[in-house]
Amino acid sequence: MLASLLQNLINALQWGSFYALIALGYTMVYGVLTLINFAHGDVFMVGAYIAFFVASFLLAAVGLPGWAALVLAIPLTMLLTSLVGVSLERIAYRPLRRKGVDRLYVVITALMCGLILEHANLATFGASRKAFPTLLDEQVYTVAGVSVTNLKLAVIATALLVFLVLQRIVTKTRIGMAMRAIACDRFAVPLMGISVDTVIVATFALGSGLAGLAGLLFAMSYPILEPYMGALIGWKAFIAAVVGGIGDIRGAFLGGFLLGAVEIMVVAFFPSTFRDLIAFSVLMLILVWKPTGLFGVARTTKI
Amino acid sequence: MLLEVENLAVKYGNIQALHGISFHVREGEIVTLIGANGAGKTTTLYSIARLAPPEAPRVAGGDIRLRGHSLLATPPDQVVSRLGMALVPEGRRIFGKLTVEENLKLATYARGKDADLAHDFRRVFDLFPRLAERRAQRSESLSGGEQQMLAVGRALMTGCRFLLLDEPSMGLAPVLKFELFRTLKRLNEEGLTLLLVEQNASLALHLAHRGYVLDTGRIVASGTGAELLGNPEVKKAYLGG
Repeated sequence: MLASLLQNLINALQWGSFYALIALGYTMVYGVLTLINFAHGDVFMVGAYIAFFVASFLLAAVGLPGWAALVLAIPLTMLLTSLVGVSLERIAYRPLRRKGVDRLYVVITALMCGLILEHANLATFGASRKAFPTLLDEQVYTVAGVSVTNLKLAVIATALLVFLVLQRIVTKTRIGMAMRAIACDRFAVPLMGISVDTVIVATFALGSGLAGLAGLLFAMSYPILEPYMGALIGWKAFIAAVVGGIGDIRGAFLGGFLLGAVEIMVVAFFPSTFRDLIAFSVLMLILVWKPTGLFGVARTTKI
Repeated sequence: MLLEVENLAVKYGNIQALHGISFHVREGEIVTLIGANGAGKTTTLYSIARLAPPEAPRVAGGDIRLRGHSLLATPPDQVVSRLGMALVPEGRRIFGKLTVEENLKLATYARGKDADLAHDFRRVFDLFPRLAERRAQRSESLSGGEQQMLAVGRALMTGCRFLLLDEPSMGLAPVLKFELFRTLKRLNEEGLTLLLVEQNASLALHLAHRGYVLDTGRIVASGTGAELLGNPEVKKAYLGG
């Protein structure tokens, strides 16, 4: 009983790590722009594909061993995926912001950007699935009936490390302070000599880079890639961010791990077809009880 | 000439807010713009500070020059970071979720590596000892007067040499108003040029070297502070008799 509980807990932490890493991108962009970037789930998908091409290239064309390919693939995937996020901001969102249009149109644009990423992928690489190469030899450790792989541990450790680093960035660095300042009062930020656009670009770069990291880890854990893989997980991560309190980094993690835990626990006791129904019902009840999310505070609309 | 505003016409949509006003500020001066609510004082300051949409008024004609360079094509952050002009906006607009110290630090974001930040922190804390006491507090917990001190302190931390102030006395108790204006006088004596927009005309004209009177988007009078204080029409309209 205890072993099975621990086993489920580890699975929940690993599964929740993906949600948490993706939810961060939603929550950070919302924090600075009050924009829900619905293309973010597909940026995660693009991240997984970028990881696929980078890893395949490093293994086959360069001939690196798996561990070396992984060490190089992490920064390369994060960098290239952040370029995708920054490009979306430059091409699609910034022109709308310049025109001062209502946020609704920016959200619709974000939805379309997501669909464009999915179908550009489909058009370019076809409908066949891609098998992600093995970068890490899987090792299973079994302690007192609980088994865990090195990859699962790495995923959980990465998510926790990202949390600590991000907390530090947001509270201690200038760019982090500027992000929080924009969330308070965007109007006053240029008065500090700070370009609002620079902070927005940094936010997209950071959020998309983390989606790329999630894409790489996800592809290593579930090595089948297809163009629609980001859609449902993106929606779920967005809901996780809202339940945690969108705009708050701690909320993204809490919401992500909570959703992971609910899903794993449902499958442990019910048929797996019940998973999403029960998981989303639980989240809906949390929102009915606390509409602004667990860490959220009601914010007043600013002009 | 530090600042030259020439024939500035500004529209909000179809509404003409400024009908071609001209004025100037010389290095080392305190200049004030006075006028009733809706006269165009804040519009003038926003136009000079190049504030971004949707709050930005649209310049429909004329020019604004700072040390000879036209500001019309300059983004608002560069007005601060490159040209050394800062604005204390109406309503203070401090970053409430950030601490006092973070608000001040943020203002140094765009400054060069050689800036003596320690000196500037000392200067601000010397001008406003209350901010030093409360440096670790979230700034939303400060009183209105303390928030105004923070707004001025924050502007000073940008390293500005020219400071625009929009209704700094608004909402302050009389004692705090006088204290704030004494501080502004001291800053000016230390070399800071000030352009002050005020509804409290008497207070502003007593402080300023020169003043302009704005009325529904036009400059209707100008002169030294003493001249305007003695002008019977200004007295009647803005000084309560």
